[in-house]
Amino acid sequence: MRRTLIFGLAAVLAAAGCGVGETTQPESGAAASGGKVELSFLVFETPNLDAAFWDAAIARASAKVPEVTIKKLVTPNIDRTAYAKQLDAAGNLPDILQSVNPAGFAQAGKLAPFTDEELKNFIAPKAGAIGGKVYQLPYNTQVIPVVYYNKDLFAKAGITAPPTTYQELLDISKKLKDGGTTPFVVGGGGADTWADMYPLTGTVATDVYKKTPDWLLQRAQGKVKFTDPDFVAAAKKIEDLAKNEYIDPAGLSRSYADTEQAFRDGKGAMYPMGSWFATSADANKPSFEVGAFPWPTDDGSPVTPTFTGGGTLVSATAKNVELAKKWALAFDEDKENNDAFVRKDGSIPAIKGYTPPADMGPVYNATVEIYTKGMADGSIFDAFSQEAGDGALPPGLADKAALGVQDLITGKKNAQQFAEFLDDEYAKATQ
Amino acid sequence: MTQTMRPPARVKARPAPPRRRSGRFLPGLGRFALFALPGLVAYALFVLVPIGMTAYNSLTNLNPFNPPTRFVGLRNYVSLLGDTEFRQALVNTIIVTAIITVLANVGGLLIAMLLDRPTRLYVLLRGVFFTPVVLSSVVISVIWQAILTDDGLLNSALRGLGVDEPPGWLSDPGLALYSIAWIMTWQMLGFCVVVYLAGLQGVPRELNEAASIDGAGALQRFRNVTWPMLAPALTINVVMLLITGFKAYDQVRVITNGGPGNGTTVTMAFQVVQTAFVSNRIGYSSALAAVMLAIVAFISVVVLRFLQKREVSQ
Repeated sequence: MRRTLIFGLAAVLAAAGCGVGETTQPESGAAASGGKVELSFLVFETPNLDAAFWDAAIARASAKVPEVTIKKLVTPNIDRTAYAKQLDAAGNLPDILQSVNPAGFAQAGKLAPFTDEELKNFIAPKAGAIGGKVYQLPYNTQVIPVVYYNKDLFAKAGITAPPTTYQELLDISKKLKDGGTTPFVVGGGGADTWADMYPLTGTVATDVYKKTPDWLLQRAQGKVKFTDPDFVAAAKKIEDLAKNEYIDPAGLSRSYADTEQAFRDGKGAMYPMGSWFATSADANKPSFEVGAFPWPTDDGSPVTPTFTGGGTLVSATAKNVELAKKWALAFDEDKENNDAFVRKDGSIPAIKGYTPPADMGPVYNATVEIYTKGMADGSIFDAFSQEAGDGALPPGLADKAALGVQDLITGKKNAQQFAEFLDDEYAKATQ
Repeated sequence: MTQTMRPPARVKARPAPPRRRSGRFLPGLGRFALFALPGLVAYALFVLVPIGMTAYNSLTNLNPFNPPTRFVGLRNYVSLLGDTEFRQALVNTIIVTAIITVLANVGGLLIAMLLDRPTRLYVLLRGVFFTPVVLSSVVISVIWQAILTDDGLLNSALRGLGVDEPPGWLSDPGLALYSIAWIMTWQMLGFCVVVYLAGLQGVPRELNEAASIDGAGALQRFRNVTWPMLAPALTINVVMLLITGFKAYDQVRVITNGGPGNGTTVTMAFQVVQTAFVSNRIGYSSALAAVMLAIVAFISVVVLRFLQKREVSQ
């Protein structure tokens, strides 16, 4: 009996051993063959950044670092950070990752930092630094939000110019609503809850970050709270927009793609969105002309909320960290790759000496003008919930904030309750 | 009339065939163990070990992004008691489970009775009703999202019929959970239909005929003959639907992501995954998972016992 059990156990273990050998062998072989190292690269696909886009960009970087072959991994949905966490929990963090939020990964020593020398070609080399070290290449800037608007619907409502103060924005919204047009298109349905954040990102920039640019860093240090008057005032603006029916709660069932489509279909006049919408509007023109303006402040002074970073990261346990970093830099600094990001995703590359293609469309150019003006007048601030680095929200809180914004819009929470909710969630996330 | 009972003829005993030796190498029990061992190892690796690891992790503050991991005893479980989000997730899960268990059973039984005909059309219809069961939950969620979203098929139809402001099936916090429950009911309906059909086809025709002869009407025949005979089918359906309801995740993830708003459609399974992989609190989410396992196991066992007793008493 005992011998039988031993035989059976040996058979099972042998079978298991064979299985392991079969899965690991090809990787070792690939690494060994021709001196090349195979590195896994986690990307995400969107309607703009499709499979063909990633394949071409990977090929261009690999041509510059021929000792590397890339095994592309694709996230099951746009939430690449959550998927990277799942892979990490299973001990399979990819060697190179695209646009994953480094918060948590970096502090846990799971990412390799880039040196100053490696970052010399970036305009903002310390953007998104965590403890003074940069783990994600700060390759591009995005303005979040830009308010894109339907010029036809504005004209129909007798609006001749975009607003320059918050009161003008409210006046315009009233005119639009009185004329039977929903002023704002805001989505956030399905897995795309994040898509509802942008009006709040705008009001936090104008009402909170303008006074206290390092507000979120101070929140981490316990010096300020979400229930402080400035933040509550920023949330109250969203509460009021919803109460006045300038934001239609029914839009909360729309996914990100459906929200964009709703704006294209004229279901609302203004679309607060990240600057990546610009190239989508240029490449696939709606039936109306699209204009763009920054989220206005109470007094009309300029505020330009932006996020700089979002590039490639390298795992600290990559098969060859130095080669992985070399490949990541080649990927992010490649002119053609950046041109492709500009054309497909409306990014504003933050690489020294880079100029976008001359034939970019009017919406992209209007967006870049907002950013350039912000740089010129010193009105660049962080974009709430988009931050990376030391001044970022704790892991999971941006998702909670997006759900809380839904409560603000549906009237389930008022601004004060929303702020209390964020403080509670902040405490839980930092336990 | 008398009948002579003859003793059974003696059968000449044939020599038994030489018994195959089970072999010194593999005696009976050993052979059993050999066959059972791979299954037992797989079960241990993929079920028992993860349950054990979950139980262990639930006693720690494990957060891979915030080391070091410390043993915290029952602190996670104590925190659960005061966690309003957990209570909301539990209530949501119970509502969803109750709705799909009742609606899918009632609907499934009605449809099964309608389809209990031997013609080809009805056979075809059985296939139609079963199709959602074999489709991926994600596919079904995407389809229903397209139907129920504000600009979706249903609201477009309602607007076409003159309803100016059709309901926000997925955006109204008061409706979204019921929309999720409806979608899950729709998906499981075919399963119940098939199980009840199998049960109906096992009801002896003679019983119904005898009841008819005794003067029983259609309703009485159903109540006193058909329904008691369907007890095993009811047991299977109820237990399967309870388990389906308690582990609801896919539909919530794809259709509402727990919204609209905080916690509106969050189920226990959804909260476990979010807590582990969004908030990184794996220790706490393990406690959630352990409690969820205990609740599901307790309810399943109680319901199963109750329904099985009912089967016996019928």
